[in-house]
Amino acid sequence: MDFPFVKEAVAKLFSKTSCSMYPFEPSEAAPNYRGRIVFHPETCINCNMCERVCAGGAITHTSVKNDDGDDVITRSFDLGSCTFCSTCADFCTRHSIELTGDYHMIGIEEGDLIVSGTFIKKAVKRPVPGAKPVAAAAKPAAAKPAADAKAAPAAAKPAADAKAAPAAAKPAADAKAAPAAAKPAADAKSKPETATEAKPEEKKA
Amino acid sequence: MFKKLIEESTAKSPWLFHINSGSCNGCDIELVAVLTPRYDVERLGFKLAGSPRQADIVVVTGPVTRQSLDRVLSTISQVPEPRCIVTMGSCPQSGNVFKGSYSVCAPLSKYVHVDVDIAGCTPKPEAIIDGLAKATEILKEKRRQM
Repeated sequence: MDFPFVKEAVAKLFSKTSCSMYPFEPSEAAPNYRGRIVFHPETCINCNMCERVCAGGAITHTSVKNDDGDDVITRSFDLGSCTFCSTCADFCTRHSIELTGDYHMIGIEEGDLIVSGTFIKKAVKRPVPGAKPVAAAAKPAAAKPAADAKAAPAAAKPAADAKAAPAAAKPAADAKAAPAAAKPAADAKSKPETATEAKPEEKKA
Repeated sequence: MFKKLIEESTAKSPWLFHINSGSCNGCDIELVAVLTPRYDVERLGFKLAGSPRQADIVVVTGPVTRQSLDRVLSTISQVPEPRCIVTMGSCPQSGNVFKGSYSVCAPLSKYVHVDVDIAGCTPKPEAIIDGLAKATEILKEKRRQM
């Protein structure tokens, strides 16, 4: 009688198991695994593209006006409705959404599976008619902020500001400084840039 | 005297019953993959029971379709107390992409009390092991209170 593979069988009896002993040995997800969502609220501009393209309808936001007239926006991602397709991360223009390799998502209580972030979107003050000459005088200094003064609607802000402020951390701050008509708060808030600094100085002079 | 023995032995061997209420089968495949030698949850004592009357933990997958709703509820009611209901995937938790459909009655928590939600579409086998381990702890608590 011939028993094939006897040597291999006996060797396997004493070799290491191929089982991945998960709770006792840590296990990493594959690279580019689409796991738990991490939201970076500081870079969000509230374009709502993620909400529009979400397959499972997992993204919602609430907006409350605070004392300064700014919007305090809270964006929530419900991991219990999420398909982890990463369409929101692909469409996010500011790369504020990231799908990490964290796959341990267990929900026991109500709010366990909700990831949310809050940020403040500064209100854009409409240009006062008296500020027009200021914008005109500043034209040679920088054409960009003057364009901002004409394009008052807040929705257009991100595109213009992205060029004016490379960091793009405070988009609305620039918008405020550009058509600013004697707003000392704007000077304190705006980033040190040649364009925006030139105008208040010229105004004061 | 027997109580302690029963408590310790059942804590180490909770039996699962799997109900598919209209799922796409992604979660079902991952669940049975967890029982295969690669991720081997059987070494932790879990086993698929043939009948709901012999189960401790019920794992539900799929958005609860209208057609399967009554059957799912009657099957769950046949599982003897203390029992732990685990929803796997995002379908039974909220309906996921099928939300608002005429034939889907998700979430399951509207009809029965769900103890553990395992999120993912579909959850990784290691995440399923995490969820089942949590369910075992909850079961232990429930048994202690009985």
